Amino acid sequence: MSSPSDAEVIGRSMGDPEAFGLIYDRHAVALLRFLGRRAGAKIAEGLVGELFRIAFERRKTFDGSRASALPWLYGIGSNLLLKHRRGEARRLRASARMAADGERADRRAGAAALDARLLFPRVANAIEALPDDEREALLLFAWEELPYQSVAEALDLPIDTVRSRLNRARARLRELLEPKGKGRVRSQ
Amino acid sequence: MKPVDLARKLRREAAFKPAALDRGKETLMAAIQQEVEPRRPTVIPQLPYADIRAALSFLERAFGFREIRATRLEGADGVVHHALVEFGDSVIGIGTQGAHGAVSPQRGGIESQYLSVAVADVAAHYQRARAAGARIAREPRGHGAEAHAYEAFDPEGHRWRFVHQRLREVPQERTRA
Repeated sequence: MSSPSDAEVIGRSMGDPEAFGLIYDRHAVALLRFLGRRAGAKIAEGLVGELFRIAFERRKTFDGSRASALPWLYGIGSNLLLKHRRGEARRLRASARMAADGERADRRAGAAALDARLLFPRVANAIEALPDDEREALLLFAWEELPYQSVAEALDLPIDTVRSRLNRARARLRELLEPKGKGRVRSQ
Repeated sequence: MKPVDLARKLRREAAFKPAALDRGKETLMAAIQQEVEPRRPTVIPQLPYADIRAALSFLERAFGFREIRATRLEGADGVVHHALVEFGDSVIGIGTQGAHGAVSPQRGGIESQYLSVAVADVAAHYQRARAAGARIAREPRGHGAEAHAYEAFDPEGHRWRFVHQRLREVPQERTRA
């Protein structure tokens, strides 16, 4: 017997709310890791229950034509993270320092156009300076490895809009890598 | 290196406490439990309003209803299409003017029914409703039971009757086989 799809489970939870527990069992690990990558373990641990509580309360808005609830849950998580931008920024800077150290230990980095010590903090700053909607699309795509369609479902946007946001985000990041790149990040 | 690949280099896993997932599940199950416990009434009167948000705010402030927040139906644009409010052991639906053929008195010009609500303290309820700006249709005066009941309009003209809980409209002792 095949297990019911998320859409079927959520449909059943309308009359039998406790059925929604299965959605947690299926996806909580992925969402906890997602929140952790973005905002660190402490914030993520506090948010994961909240995320699923909100999902449960909004389960009527879940589009039953989508088999998996995962992109929808990512979308709720993305919204929750907006309140934790400072924690995210701190974590991003720390990750940049660690990445820079890692690259320096790795001698191959010597040939890189920009010293890793400079490069990664710039990447972090650039990600940080992206408008919320572009940063969200970029990180769901690059870190969570969601396909465009899932990013679109998570952010509740047409797929073409996701594509153009990702292109804009790429272009902004690319400015950093130009040979004579001024290394300055436009903040807006 | 491509921009997206550079961004990927900054992806870093967090180290969680082993119990992290259990606490999250407790939060969820507590929310689920809250929804399981409320009764599932057989009959739910549905009242149409042109402005549901304003109606919810008024019904809470003036009459002491409480919205069952988890059941609110809200569009992506933030417009509330339907909500449920509870009072005592009863539930009322707050719906959209015109939907299901139901018309707000504000639009229709006349109310086609009134709702009778049993409360513990009519005088206190009356004061609260007045303070919140409810238009009083009938004061809690008169003889017998009528001294312990009053009627008021909400902002869209639905008429509400509040009566002492001992004087409910269908007392047990008066029902005959």
